[in-house]
Parts: sequence; structure tokens; C-alpha cells
Amino acid sequence: MLGTIFTFEVKRWLTNPSFYIYAGLFFIFSLLMMGGALGIFDGLTVTASSNTFVNSPIALNGLINGLSTFTYFLVPTIIGASIYKDFKYNMHTILFSYPFTKMDYLLGKFLSSLFIVILIVATIGVATYLASFLPGINQDLLGSYSIVAYLQIYCIFVIPNLFFYGVIVFAIVTISRNISVGFIAVIVLLFIDGVIGGYTRDADNRYLAGILDPSGSEALSYYTQYWTASEKNANLLPFESVMIYNRLLWLGVAVVIFILLYRYFSFTQTALTFGKSKNVERVTKNNFGGITRIKLPNTTFDYSTKNNLKTAWNLSNIDFVFIVKNWVFISIVIVGLLFILLTSLTSGVIFGTSTYPTTWQMLEIPGSTFGLFINLLTFLFAGILTHHGATTRMNHLVDVTPTPNWVFLVSKFLAVVKMQIVLLAVILIAGVAIQTYHGYFNFEIGHYLYELYFIKLINFIIWAFLAFFIQTLFKNYLLGFFVLLVLSIGLAYLPAIGVEQAVFRFNSDSGFQYSDMNGYGSSLPLYFLYKGYWFMLGLALFGLTLLFWTRGMGQKASARLKDAKDRFNGKKALLIRLSLIGFLGLGATFYYQNNILHEYESNLDNEKAQANWEKKYKKYQNFIQPRITAINVDIALYPEKRDFVASGTYILKNKSKQAIDSILINYNDFKTEVKFAVASKLVSKDSVFNFDIYKLDKPLAVGDSIVMNFEIKNEPNSIFRSNSPVIGNGTFINNSIFPSIGYSDKSELTDDDVRKTYGLKPKERMANPTDSIARMNTYISNDADWVQFETTISTAGDQIAIAPGYLQKQWKKDGRNYFHYKMDQKMLNFYAYNSANYVFKKDQWKNVAIEIYYQEGHEYNLDRMISAVKKSLDYYTTNFSPYQHKQVRIIEYPKTLGQFAQSYANTIPFSEGIGFIAAVDDEDQDAVDYPFSVTSHEIAHQWWAHQVIGANVQGATMLSESLSEYSSLKVLEHQYGKSQMRKFLKDALDKYLQGRTRERKKEQPLMYNESQQYIHYNKGSLVFYALSDFIGEKKLNGVLKAYLQKVAFQDAPYTNSIELVTMLKEATPDSLKYTIKDMFETITLYDNNISNVTSKKLKNGKYQVDIQFNVAKYRSDDQGARIFKDSNGKTITYKKKGDEIGLSSLPINDFIEIGIFKQDEVKDKKIEKQLHLKKYRISKIDNKLSIIVDEKPTEVGVDPFNKLIDTNSDDNRRKL
Amino acid sequence: MNLKITNLSKTYKNGVKALDNLNLEIGTGMFGLLGPNGAGKSSLMRTIATLQKPDSGSIEFDGADILQDQMSLRKVLGYLPQEFGVYPNMSAESLLDYFAQLKGISSKKERQEIIKQVLEVTNLYEVRMKFVNGYSGGMKQRFGIAQLLLNNPKLIIVDEPTSGLDPAERHRFLNVLREIGTNHTVIFSTHIVDDVKELCNEVAILNGGKILTKGTPTAVIAALQGTIWTKVIDRESLEENEKKFNVISSNYNQDNTLNIRVQSTEQPDEAFVMAAPQLEDVYFVALKKDTVLC
Repeated sequence: MLGTIFTFEVKRWLTNPSFYIYAGLFFIFSLLMMGGALGIFDGLTVTASSNTFVNSPIALNGLINGLSTFTYFLVPTIIGASIYKDFKYNMHTILFSYPFTKMDYLLGKFLSSLFIVILIVATIGVATYLASFLPGINQDLLGSYSIVAYLQIYCIFVIPNLFFYGVIVFAIVTISRNISVGFIAVIVLLFIDGVIGGYTRDADNRYLAGILDPSGSEALSYYTQYWTASEKNANLLPFESVMIYNRLLWLGVAVVIFILLYRYFSFTQTALTFGKSKNVERVTKNNFGGITRIKLPNTTFDYSTKNNLKTAWNLSNIDFVFIVKNWVFISIVIVGLLFILLTSLTSGVIFGTSTYPTTWQMLEIPGSTFGLFINLLTFLFAGILTHHGATTRMNHLVDVTPTPNWVFLVSKFLAVVKMQIVLLAVILIAGVAIQTYHGYFNFEIGHYLYELYFIKLINFIIWAFLAFFIQTLFKNYLLGFFVLLVLSIGLAYLPAIGVEQAVFRFNSDSGFQYSDMNGYGSSLPLYFLYKGYWFMLGLALFGLTLLFWTRGMGQKASARLKDAKDRFNGKKALLIRLSLIGFLGLGATFYYQNNILHEYESNLDNEKAQANWEKKYKKYQNFIQPRITAINVDIALYPEKRDFVASGTYILKNKSKQAIDSILINYNDFKTEVKFAVASKLVSKDSVFNFDIYKLDKPLAVGDSIVMNFEIKNEPNSIFRSNSPVIGNGTFINNSIFPSIGYSDKSELTDDDVRKTYGLKPKERMANPTDSIARMNTYISNDADWVQFETTISTAGDQIAIAPGYLQKQWKKDGRNYFHYKMDQKMLNFYAYNSANYVFKKDQWKNVAIEIYYQEGHEYNLDRMISAVKKSLDYYTTNFSPYQHKQVRIIEYPKTLGQFAQSYANTIPFSEGIGFIAAVDDEDQDAVDYPFSVTSHEIAHQWWAHQVIGANVQGATMLSESLSEYSSLKVLEHQYGKSQMRKFLKDALDKYLQGRTRERKKEQPLMYNESQQYIHYNKGSLVFYALSDFIGEKKLNGVLKAYLQKVAFQDAPYTNSIELVTMLKEATPDSLKYTIKDMFETITLYDNNISNVTSKKLKNGKYQVDIQFNVAKYRSDDQGARIFKDSNGKTITYKKKGDEIGLSSLPINDFIEIGIFKQDEVKDKKIEKQLHLKKYRISKIDNKLSIIVDEKPTEVGVDPFNKLIDTNSDDNRRKL
Repeated sequence: MNLKITNLSKTYKNGVKALDNLNLEIGTGMFGLLGPNGAGKSSLMRTIATLQKPDSGSIEFDGADILQDQMSLRKVLGYLPQEFGVYPNMSAESLLDYFAQLKGISSKKERQEIIKQVLEVTNLYEVRMKFVNGYSGGMKQRFGIAQLLLNNPKLIIVDEPTSGLDPAERHRFLNVLREIGTNHTVIFSTHIVDDVKELCNEVAILNGGKILTKGTPTAVIAALQGTIWTKVIDRESLEENEKKFNVISSNYNQDNTLNIRVQSTEQPDEAFVMAAPQLEDVYFVALKKDTVLC
């Protein structure tokens, strides 16, 4: 019987067109995604490139699982509906009298519909394979297809997940006889997935998340999170313990649910309902057959538009109540609320420290996920309401009333908008609740209301227009829902096929950003213009919806089309015509502004321009040019109009050994005029690349200087276009807006695959450290060495403007503020301007003035920052060299311009997003005081960048960023003790290991890094901290001090990493010299773990701990492949009895730390007490140690503090 | 009041000709539309009720072309479809308020008054706060009448309202309908001949999308006067009789013999006895003729 039901159901589906629609949609979508990744759209958009294969098992897994997530939305309509439809069409009364068992029926229904869904997801896999046969794909991106990989992906993830989702939805729909409830289940499960994903940002939670994540993706990434390019290309998916536990857990849950369903289910004919019982009452009939006289009261009928509007409003309330009472809605509100509350716990956390729950952050937490919830409900309820009459079979009663169609549409539309309003209110309520919970009472209700209802609501309303239109076209609202879902997601991929402009993408806009400093800035007018544009289309869609509105009996498509034509008259036609005119008019205006008035630069255009720039001007790269030696700029900022005007002078000096007759000027899109104080001719002007060549009448002799004057201002801003970096409050611009001298290779294409398409040779991102030409420049400027700097800034009357140097004079003129700054000594050609309505706080360290300019209300961490400045100056002046300035200024700037701090001479612009609103918990050992550490890092740059500046070669940033990280870590350690180190270093290790998996070109050893952030920051801090641990802080600082003395403020050729590493090597004892090679010169990783540990109490009351542990070390090539052989081809191995695969390692003779710990409780807080910590010299993989400690140990670790780089740091410790 | 249907035709997607060049004129009073299942009754009623468009033909109500100006008809129309549902979990009172608004009663007070009245007429006042989706079949049909009355309709169309009702409910339902029918045009379709017999001023028999017979019940019955003959036969001889005579109906007696009725202008044979024609005979005669023609 089971077989009969199964085949019957499958046949039924295979003859149903919707099966082919679903399968086709997935097939085409997958084909396009895969094809896009393989470069079939290269001619339409930027070149697809990757250093990993697009069809590697892990990449295929990501793609197939990502796409199959959408099939979960089909589960209610296919698996859920399998039994539901028997009820819907009253088949169950007949079916249930047939001779099959419950098990036959349930299993037959479930398995057949599951099989159909599996057929649909199978098309994804087929499409990813067939995509490789599409024309125009880049074969370099294609590895070999592995059938095993497909089997793994489908058998470990896709099918078990569908089984799991399927069982839950099947059970719920069978019991409740309501498909919508099935949707809730899907959304709840996806929500759980999302929340768990959020928790994995903290590495400590990943094991648990791996087991609990229903989709299993966190379990997989537990093993693959640190896979390098080489590993991604070579490895099949792992299937290890966390994954096995995860799969067993969720399959188990599914099976239990199915068994419970089996036991509950009986062929009864009523659905499970809640809360109905109180309405039960015996109803008896009376007054049979009586004859009554019917006299109806006289009523007045009002068919006016005004009354219709009133009716529409009243009806919308009825529909709204219907939505609000619907379980789908209630569940999503609860889920959404939980989502916001749970997300708030992890969002905005940096180094374990969260921020104060400001209102803008509360508004950001719901993010796109909550927006998606609102859209899902909009799509769903637009459909449910549109077909409410038909599904309840009340439509024939309603349709014969003298109420025009628009009243029905308006009422349902209003009901959906009211629902959106309620959902947005959830954000407000959740936000205020979170703020209250954290004891933060600055609620800014006005800001909530403004953003939610004034700015955001219209976005959802426009979606509602589309939703009603689509849902009116489809008879089946679930199909309509799915089409809307695919449309809304597909829109996000339009840029991938070259459709980038917002004007062509439904409901796209220019976005808006908020910061405490600058509010919404100037972003809103254009945003509303775009929304107005799409609203016009929405109105037209509303008109079209009326044309296609179903009234009475359903009709075939051609008849509906004819009806629509017949209905196209009167006010409907006027509405459609007018709104289309408005839509097209605005659209044309956008198009004109963005494409004709200003040429539109697509990403592809930019790519081409980069290639052309190089082809045309690369020849000038080493063209000898004079150097800027002095700068004097006069700049006026107009925050109200967001304009600036600047004029400046460069003194250019010929520092070369030959006369110079041509000067190459490289400038921006701003209106720029350049003049020389001596006679010259413009011999080449390039307004595309903004690159001009001037010929001096009289060549500039060796050692001589000339004056270059320039004037620069922005094109006027318009509502459509911002042509200036100046903003209303909080301007932060740097010297890159001014002209520079000579060719710059900064804008060359760096990706070798992309370079190849344009016929360019592969290139290194940076020159070799020994490249003598490259060493003539610092890595931050190619037209200057050290410069004299002076500037005058003017700004609005209520703002303070700041630039490097010391304030010489300040005055007011015509209601504007003027500031004259001058640096008293040479500095790098690297400066910035800040202007805002600041308040400030001042302090003093010895003779150094400390000033913080900040946004009022952001006082939280000023004292921490000041303390960090003082502690840093203390440490750096004591250990390194004197501070070259008499002042330290920290200047806040809006988070919309970036989330970083940056050190200029005596001036540190500091984003409001990273520290000013941090809520530091001094009690929490796992929370880093990052306002302190960031400040400390930036102060360190006054030495490491502003005194020692690396040449423009590989490894340069080790000398600035890594050393600044090290310096600030030391200050932090002295301030807070080692406990803060653990969190910081663990985070750094995680970020380094994550970073190398995203490397697009090649991973470099630290001393050859090519400005790679995960290397110079994260690995750099680990390496220098470990080195100070190995050779001692004093010794390391001694080397740094000597290095500073040698190279600080030097002229070209500039220092490189080799010079520092050589000095470090000299200071390192021979037994530890291997660390220099491991940490600086090569990419070296350890694989250390405890394999067994026991402890026993001795007679003298002490404890003997026997530890077995493995130590293995390997090098990595630049693609992340592991190498176990040293340069002599030697390797060591170890194979435990019974193990199939042994362990390999480079030959070692390394110092490895072994620690024994005890959990202590001090004042209810768990504190780890060290019983033993010592470095042991280790020369083989498997090791045994027996250590005696005084107290009862609870935990043992090999390299317990993760000072060494190890991709699995969790197995370094083991509890007893 | 006058409803005039001219040359109305409608063919469905599956090829069924539901209305075949149908012509009909209906005045005030109860109009019974009699026909077997699938005769096109519902199609005709839906078409009049503006729920469906004919392929060709016209319908005029008091001179207005209702296929063009649907709203004017809807204002005076009361319609009870053969089968309907309601929004779940709404009480009769709130659903009626919903309908009253749709029918254009803007004053809340007037709505309350008329709702109270129609609830009393249909004897639903006691259960007005209960969810309509929980009503029994008869109560639901009465609710259908209640909503239909809200706009004091001139033209009332009820499509097979009595099928599925118990005798008492049916009786009560027909009484209410009759009461309304005195001042309005009521078109009432059924396949139960007794319904029409008891109620209608005029009757038409519809089959295959065409009107076969039309007239007052008395007139159509009178037309058969002297042509209906009856005889008691064995079950075995039915086929033989059917061959020989124009048998229009046959039904069992308790002793397993059959009563057959035959239409003939003359006495078919001696065993036949002349019978007084019934409305039922009219119905069967009409259907029989139609079948023969096909």
C-alpha cells in the first residue's frame, strides 16, 4: 500500500506544472549563479576571479546549501500540503475509509513529497555541473568535479536538512491543518540558524554552536573555518565528531517528531485547535415553521466615494484584526522580538567589549533580517488577503455588493501597511527594552519614530504594492509568495550581471546613514527621491492590480487580459497614466543625472580604466621628479553647502643627480588648477585620468627648488550628487584630495587573473625589500620625503577645524572661524583636516598637552583615552625614544566615514564607532578595554610610522602596524595585567587564521607582508608578543630602541624589515634563533595537543601530573599548503599504535610551554591559578612529562596561552 | 420590475455549453427555475448576479444593461449562492455589519437596526454572537438570507437554497422566501419540483442551457391535461413498456411493482388510467422531449 500511495503521489506531482516552475526556477538561478562565478558575465560586469576553484567541494557546498535554503520555503507547500490537501478537498472522508494503515498513509505522503523536494534541489547540483559547459567561462577557475563531493553535500547536508525541515513542517501541518503554520516553523528554524550564526563571532562559542546549529553549517565551519586556499582546493568535506553529533542530534529530533506524529495521528476528521472549547454550547432550534411578517426598516444607502473611503478604512481594520490574530503573524512577531534581543547580545562587541546601547545601534540591530521578516509577512498576507474571499468561499457574497474593486484593494492594502507599522513598532519596543535592561535611559523616541516611520516605512509600502500586484495575478497565494521571494532575492544579484544603477533595480535607493555627529547628513533627500520614484511605480502597479482584480468567477488568462483592457478607463487609467509619467519622468531625470550629465562609471568601467591607466602611464613610474619639501595650504570648508575651496603651494626640490625638465601632476576629479612660479608649458593634458605633464622652460637644476601653486575646489553639489567630501558636521578629509607628483601605482589592477584579461603581466603587490629604486620612497608617499607643513583652515562659525601642527592664531571673520596651524619640525607628507561642532577636554602629561575633541554626549571614555595617552607616552619615551611633538590631539569623526583611528603628526582622528561609546567592563577578564588599546596603538604610531617609516617595499607595515600593535599590547599588559592579553591574543589568532583563508593572492611571511591586515596587525601582534616572551621584554625593547636611533627620521633610501629582523636575530640567543625564522621569515604553524593526562595524589600531599602531548610544526606555502620537510628534505613522523594515519612534523628542537592550572574562586568569580608554567625543549612529536605540583590541578595545557600559532587551539588544554 | 434576458450564451473552457442562446423575461414575484443538476441554472444565476460574463447576449433590469452597468444592479441585488463560506471566527453580527458596509449603509445606527431586523426575520437573533462558521447547514442558509436582505433588494436570486436542509428548516426557509417574494422579484432555482409547486408564481424548466417550458404552474400543468396516463406493471416488463410507450417516469410501489406514467394524447392501452397532470409531469415531459431532440 505504501508503494501505491508513493507512486500515486509522485505521479500526481510530476504532472503538476508548479513542480516544473519550481524546479526550473532553481535550475536557472543556480546556473546563473555558478555561471557568474565562472565568469560568463565578464563582459557585462567586473571580471570574475578567485585563487580557489569555484567548484571545489567546499565552494560547491556553500553554493548548493545556500540555494537549497530557499527550498525550505517550498517545504510547507509540498511536504506540508501533501496531507493538507486531502482535508482541503474533503478527500479524507473517503480516503480514511480505505484499507491502508496509518503508517502507509503517513510515510507514503511524507516520503513522496520529500522525494519531490529532493528532485527540485537536485536541479541545483545539476545546474552547478552544467554551468561548466556554458560558453565564455574562465577555465582557470574550474578544478575537477568530484562526484564524491556532490554525494557528501547532498547526503550530509541537503537531504538530511530537508528531511528535518520536512518532518517538522509535515507534523505541524498535519496536526494543525494549516499550511501557514508550516511557514512559521520554517521561519523559526531559519531564525535559530541565524542567531546561532551570530554567536560564532566569538571563537569560544563555536563548539557548542557547531552541535546546535540545525543546518549543520556551523559544524562544518568548525573544521573548515581556517582552510587556506590550497586546502579548499584539495580537500573533500570533513565528517568528524562535531558534524556527526550534529547530524545525529537533528536526525534524532526529526525521527522522534515523526514517531510522535504517528502516535498522535488518527484518521479522525477534526484538526487540532486551541482555545475553542469555551465557545461550545448546545444549540437547539425553536420556532419552527412560523410565519413572520418582514418589514425592513428604511435605510439610506450611500455609494459616494467619501463613504467608500470610510468603508475601505473600516474594512482594513477587520482585515488587520484578521492578520494580528493570525498565528503566522504572532509567531513572527515573537520570533522577531527574540531575534532582536538575542542579536543585541553579540552585536557591536569588539574584543569582548560591547558598546552603550545608543538608539542608532538599536535601530541597526534588526538589520536586514528583520526587514526580511517584514517582507515575508507582506508577501504572505498580501496573498492571503487578496484571496481571502475565495479561500473562505465568501467571495460570491462579497462580489455582488455594490462596492467598487478599489475599496477592497485599498482596505487590504491598508491592512498590510498597518501590519508593517506594528512590526516596525516591535523594533522600537525591543530597542527600548534593551536600553532599559542595560540601564541606558536616553531613549530618543523621536529618533526611533523618525527612522522607522518617516524613513523606513515607505520602503516596505513599495514592496506591498508589488506584492498585491503579483498576488492578484496568481490564483495560488503560495506560488505568488514564492515568486515574490525569488524576485526580491534575485534583485540583489542584478549587479552581478552588470545592472548596477539603482534606477533599474526595483525599490533600490541611495541608502542613508546615521551618526551621532552628523545625523542623517545629506543622505535623505536623494533617498526620498528614489523612494518617490518607486512609489510612483507602486501606484501604477496599484492601478494595474485593479485592472486584474478578480471579481466573481475565476477566468482564464486571456479573458482576464481582455477584462483588464476593458477596465482601463476613467480614474484607473488616469492613475496609471499619471503615476507612470511621474515614474518615467523621475527615472529619466536619474538617468540623465547619472549617465549623461555625469558619465556613469560602472565597476567594469573602473576595471578597464585601471588597466588603461597602467598601460598608458606606467612608463613614467620611475621618471625622475622633484620632491615636495614644504606645503602651505589655505583651505575653506563650507559645511552648510558641503563645499570646499583650497589653494596651496608646494616647494618642489630636485633631489636627484640630474636636471628635471618635465613635471607630472596627478590630481582628482575636483576642479584643479596648477601653476608654477617659473615659466612652463602644459604639454600633455589628460582629463580622463587627470594626469598632466608640464614642461619647464628652464630645466630644474640639481639641488634647486621651484614653487608650485594649485587651486582646487569641488563642483557644486546637487541633490543627485555629492561632489565633495565635506559634510555638515564632522568633516574628515586627508591630503589625497590635493595634487601629487608623478605616476602612482596604487590604482593598478592587482588581481593576476583580472590583469590577464587585459593583457597585463602578473605583478607583485609590493617590491622586494632589497629593491633599491623602491626604497627611495616611503610606503605612504611617492612624491615627498619629510616636509615642512603649514595650513590655514576656515569653517562654519560653530565649528572647530583641526589639522596637524600647532595653533598659531585663531580668529573670526564674516561669521566664520579661522585657524592657522604650523608644524615646528619635519613630518611626513600625510595630513588631514577635521571640522565639527566639538567640545573638548584637556589634560597634560609632563610638557605634552593632551586634547580630546569630541561630540557632546560621548564623554564615556574620555578618561580612559587620556589615561591611555599618558601610559603610552610613559612607556614609549622610557623604552623607545623621546616624543617628537608637544601635543597629542584625539579628534572624533562620524562613524559613517569609517570605523578606525588614524595617526597623523600630533593628531589622531578617531571614529565615534570605535571607542567613544564603548561600555568597558573592568571586572570582565574576557573584555578588552579597547578605547585604551586603540588609543595606545595610535600613540605608538607617532614612533612607528612618524619616526621610523618603512620604504615602499614588502614588510614595510611590519615596521609601523605590527610594532604599534606590540607597543600598545605592552602598555595594556602593564595597565591591566596578563588577563587581558588572553582575550586579545586569542582574538588576534582567530583573525589571523580567518584572514589567511580569505587571501586572494598569496600569504606572505610577516617580514615580507604586502600591507595585508591579517598579517601586519593580527599575526604581527602575536609574533612580537611571543618574541618578547621568548627573549624578554627588555631585550626586545632594547633592540627597538637601537633600531630607532639608527633609522628614525632618516632620508631615502628608507629602512626595510630586513634591517630590523637582522638586529632582532643578533639579540636572540642561538637556541631561540629558530623563532626568528619561524615567525618572521616563513609561515610556520604548530599543531599541538594534549593526548592524555592523569594526576595522582602523593604521600607528601603534593600531586603528580603525568602528561602525554603531541607537538608538531609545519610550514605553509603562500597558498596554504602544509610542508613538513625542512630545507634538507627531512621530516619526522609518529604513529600511534592502531592509528591509520601518523603525524608528521618538521624536525623540531623547540621550546614549548607546559602549564598546569587550578580553578579558584575568589569573591564568587572564577579565577585561574597557575600551578606550573615552564618552557620545555621538545624534539619529537610524542612527549611525556611528569610534573609535581603543590595543589590539586584541574587543567593542563601545552602552549596553554596560545602564544604559538595553531589552527586548533582548543585541544591545547585538557581538563582533569 | 422586469428582468429581460436575450440570446444569452456561455461556453466553458472544458467545452460545456452552459447557456445556449437563452431568452427569458421575468417580472415581479417568485420565479422558479427548475432543472436537473448541470442544466445551467447556476451559470444563469451567476451571470445575472454579475459574477460571470456571458460570451454573448444581454441582460436588462428595468431597462438598464447590467452587463455594462454592473453597479446599478448590485445596488438592488440580493444573492444567495448555492454554496458559500464565511470568514472564520466572526460572529453573525459582525459579519452582517461587514456586509452592510459593503452594501453602502454608512450610518452605524441604521446598520444596527437593520441587522437586528434581519436577524429576527431569520430567527438568528439568539445566536448572533456565535461564529457563523460554526453554524449548522440550516442556520447558515438563514444567515445567507439575512445578509441578502440588508440592502432591501429588488431582485433576489437564490440558487438551490433548500438542498441539504432538513424538512423543518426547508419549510421555514421557504416561508421566509415567500414572504419576501410578494414585493420583489425572486429567482429561485431548484431541482426539487415540490419547492416550485408550493411557492412560485411562474416557473421555467431549464436544461442544457435552454428554457424548455415557461409559464405559471397552473398553465403549464393545464397544458398536459388529458395526456398523462398511469399503469401498474411488474418490474420485468418495464423495458418492454418503455419501448412501446413514452414513459416519462416510473416509481416503485412497496410490493415491488412499478407505477409508470406515460404521456400520450390517446389512451395507450386499456390498462392505462388517465391521471391528473402534476408539475412533476411537466418537468419530466420537458426533459424527455429535450433528450429526444438531442
